[in-house]
Amino acid sequence: MRQSKCEIIIVAGIRTPLGKIDGALSGLSAVDLGMQSMRELLVRSQVTPKDIDAVIVGNVIQPVEASNIARVIALNAGLPRSIPAHTVHRNCASGMQAITDAAEKIQLGHADVVMAGGVESMTHAPLLFHDDVRAAMSRLQKARTWQTKIKVLPQLLKASWKPRVGLLEGLTDATIGMGMGDTAEVLAREFSLSRIEQDAWALQSHERAQAAWESGWFDEEVMHVFSGSSFTPVHHDEGIRVGQSMQALVKLHPAFDRALGSVTAGNSSQLTDGAAMLIVSHREKAEAEGWPILGYLHDWTYTGCDPKRMGMGPVHACHQLLSARNLSMEDMARVEINEAFAAQVLANLDALGSQTFAEKTWGEGKAVGAPDSSVLNVHGGAIAMGHPVGMTGARLILTLLRQLKHDTQGGLGLASLCIGGGQGAAVLLGGEAWK
Amino acid sequence: MEMTSTVSLIWHKQQATLLFSRGDKSVNVLDEACMQALASCMDELELASPTYLLLRSDKAHCFLAGADVHAIAAVNNAEQGCLLAKRGQDLCLRLQQLPCVSIAVVQGLCLGGGLELALACDAILAVDDKKTQLGLPEIKLGIHPGFGGCVRLPKKVGWLKASEMILSGRSVHAKQAKRLGLADMVCYMEQVEQAVDVLVAKGKKQQGMKPYWFSLPPLRAFFFYVLEWKVKARFPVLDMDEAYPALSATLQLFRNIAGMDDAEAYTLEAQSIGRLAVTDSCKNLIHVFFLGEGLKHQAAVRAGQTMAADLRHTAVYGAGVMGSGIAWVVSKQGRVDLHDVSAVALSRGMTHIAGFAKRTLSHGRQRLQSIRPTLDASGLHAADVVLEAVVEDLSIKQKLWQDVESKVSETTLLLSNTSSLSVTAQQKGLQYPERLAGLHFFNPAPKMPLVEIIAGEQTSPETIQAVAAWAVSLGKYPVVVADRPGFLVNRCLMPLMTAALRLVSEGQSIVHVDGILKAYGLPMGAIELADRVGLDICLHVGEHLSASFDTDVFQLPTWFARMVKDGVLGEKSGAGFYVYEKGKAKHINEGLHAYLSCTTREKECDANIADDVVMGKQAVLDACLLPMLREAQRCLDEGVVDDAKHLDAAMIYGIGFPPFRGGLLHAMLD
Repeated sequence: MRQSKCEIIIVAGIRTPLGKIDGALSGLSAVDLGMQSMRELLVRSQVTPKDIDAVIVGNVIQPVEASNIARVIALNAGLPRSIPAHTVHRNCASGMQAITDAAEKIQLGHADVVMAGGVESMTHAPLLFHDDVRAAMSRLQKARTWQTKIKVLPQLLKASWKPRVGLLEGLTDATIGMGMGDTAEVLAREFSLSRIEQDAWALQSHERAQAAWESGWFDEEVMHVFSGSSFTPVHHDEGIRVGQSMQALVKLHPAFDRALGSVTAGNSSQLTDGAAMLIVSHREKAEAEGWPILGYLHDWTYTGCDPKRMGMGPVHACHQLLSARNLSMEDMARVEINEAFAAQVLANLDALGSQTFAEKTWGEGKAVGAPDSSVLNVHGGAIAMGHPVGMTGARLILTLLRQLKHDTQGGLGLASLCIGGGQGAAVLLGGEAWK
Repeated sequence: MEMTSTVSLIWHKQQATLLFSRGDKSVNVLDEACMQALASCMDELELASPTYLLLRSDKAHCFLAGADVHAIAAVNNAEQGCLLAKRGQDLCLRLQQLPCVSIAVVQGLCLGGGLELALACDAILAVDDKKTQLGLPEIKLGIHPGFGGCVRLPKKVGWLKASEMILSGRSVHAKQAKRLGLADMVCYMEQVEQAVDVLVAKGKKQQGMKPYWFSLPPLRAFFFYVLEWKVKARFPVLDMDEAYPALSATLQLFRNIAGMDDAEAYTLEAQSIGRLAVTDSCKNLIHVFFLGEGLKHQAAVRAGQTMAADLRHTAVYGAGVMGSGIAWVVSKQGRVDLHDVSAVALSRGMTHIAGFAKRTLSHGRQRLQSIRPTLDASGLHAADVVLEAVVEDLSIKQKLWQDVESKVSETTLLLSNTSSLSVTAQQKGLQYPERLAGLHFFNPAPKMPLVEIIAGEQTSPETIQAVAAWAVSLGKYPVVVADRPGFLVNRCLMPLMTAALRLVSEGQSIVHVDGILKAYGLPMGAIELADRVGLDICLHVGEHLSASFDTDVFQLPTWFARMVKDGVLGEKSGAGFYVYEKGKAKHINEGLHAYLSCTTREKECDANIADDVVMGKQAVLDACLLPMLREAQRCLDEGVVDDAKHLDAAMIYGIGFPPFRGGLLHAMLD
């Protein structure tokens, strides 16, 4: 078990509402989303820009026009130029990576206060040219005389001009060539998860998210955004379907294995835009400055697994994190497992609760333990709200800390994600200091 | 007489530098002393023969700010003016005729006579710096360039751009100057020596007619015809020859000198200057220029500069037309939080602001990004200024201030953009009332250059100073007024409006009254103005003023109140006295006869009105303007404003009183 005398805390956090792809937030770029949330967080918290030592932002579809997007966001948000910023990328866990990197920086004594979070605008995923177009273009540019130019022209015309869809390619595993949806189908088959089970999980996600919004639970977590050229006010997560029903869900066709699959658009997470920002610091600093403490970041881990079963990442990560701390799932007051796919969450629960799985995988006689439905994704998950890939990790930490603070009045929390490419992430959070 | 340093000739081996180094002022000016010194430098230069000559300034922010405006103002007769121009022309000509290459290294302001001197050099090297500005703004003072600028600029940049620059008086930055061809080269400060070497190597050059088709007289004539038509289109009602004779004179001068021999052209230019310098328009415009300078350099502004520099974060309350306009103005100087309780209002306000951002060439996007719309009063703890533009209701404002004061720091300035409510009353119940003042913008805030600063009973002088200096840094002309009902501008404006309405009540046609006022030079007639302001607001202000002062000059006709009651509110309701389409007054509102029996005549032909009913031009002007003048006098007597000059400036910058008339008191008391 890692020991550090430095207790990592989160001072405050905020997120934008999540907008459907080409939806409410499509008028804002990833930079705009990040800038607005960072600016809003700074205004609302007692931490001033000059207290910040570094900025780390997670982002997956890194926009070419904003290379090192963290720096662009920080400057646009009005942070002093002297504060360095860098961008991190660990696919679906990028936002979480930013926060745990910030924590490690603080533990090493390289910083006291770090602004960390995640941004994603899946709306603005680029369309790309094939490489032969680029090659022909470059030859045309190099051609000096008109004779050589004419020679290159046919090559340019012959090149494949059909655009490559950046979003699709980004959601496809580069090493095994499988789409993320296809990896969910693998889990659905291997864990014999029925379509009904998956749809029921999706329905519950919508119902829980809807109930949380209705009760005003998200009002403080989510800022108001004014989007696009008409500055349309957006406050609610756009993906939540009021009155989602099983009847509506069963009607949907499988989205990946068209003929015999069970993973549909309805029981998968939605493509969305959004940003979340948190201020990470350590207890001593916060107490000295008189800052409030939203919660503690006790521990974190990242693990690798089979890319074909990338959805199993949370199982490995949770096992590693809990066993390192000698904890069990029952110790957790609240758990968030990102809902990339309903099939993935259900498979995770099966595996976590299975003794045979534990024995086969780690040679241990005892199952890790599956969290009870009453503590898991209590206010809905990515199936209802959406999964802006680079942002979700930060959102999970924020929402879980708020649950520990407001719902359970303390206790431990576990947030975990599966990561495209075959990895898992898990962080151990607490409403109070480690005892 | 003690000689202050103006310009000196410095030799460095065989290379000469004319260094402008004004000792007693912060800017270099081509005044009498400087011209004399320059003439003796020329004597020396004509005898010696340097390898090349540089024109430079020892001030980073100013190359040469132009000719001496006082000297122009002092011109009594045409010959004197002509002579003044000839002296400048002569200096420029001597500079041009030097056998060596001459280069003007322009960093900072280079305006008017300064640019004309630079144009006489073989090359202009513009240093890329925020402060660098080149232009010929003479037209704004009722004259045109007189030191050969009308001849040299067209040769340098071509007639199309030159006529635009001279007729608009607009100045350009270093890079724009290069694009125009005005500057031969643009460089950074560190590259000046290198750039000079390149320009010296190029040597002297001859310039032909630009553009080439200008040498064909018919095309030239056509161009001038279009140009004149365009200039005249700017004044649909006003008599341009009377109001701005410089425009007609410049157009005539262009026509005459195009294709003419230089020497003759200079003579014509000088003669034209002589004629213009003695016109009322020129005298008045110069007077107004000094009025504006007076406001920008008043004692309060100078005293508040350091305080104003620290005001970097402003919270604006109210995202309506006024509030969002103000937010845009304030974004010039730091971050802005735009507060409102309604998300729809905020999104409308932000859209309004985005419209301004689109029309702003430099930093429009950055400024837009620095404005944060918010619904929940967040961010107040860090605000340096809180400026409210919410509904004109004292209890709402008082409640707002109580609420705001509990969230801001002790030193945060609290400013109310009220047009009629007492600032003193707003201070009641505050813990630190000395930091509350009124800062009244005029609609539309980004466009109207005036702000009224109102001191309440408990407002501290430091607060007034800081606000005054802050207003100047926002590009506004501040006038400090006492906390009396209607303050200054609205109180003087109201009698004009009521007088015009009274004329209409008595049977004068709306178009007739408004037309005469517009022909006088007001940007719009008093009755259209009532529509634009909103009839409900006019009524409110009228009632408020009538109740406060024992006079009937603010009394609006009874039918006016009925219009408001029926929801005929002016532009915002689509129709008032006029019907509005896309922000333009299209025609007289036909529904008016319900309130005003005589308006039915509007539709009929004018012949139906008996001649004795129609008032003459002077009679209408007297009936409308004299009540305004009397009210202005009362304001002065009561000490609403200390200085009559400030009052004149306020009427010009606040309601657009015609600047070529020199101001209300100036025009009417003469």
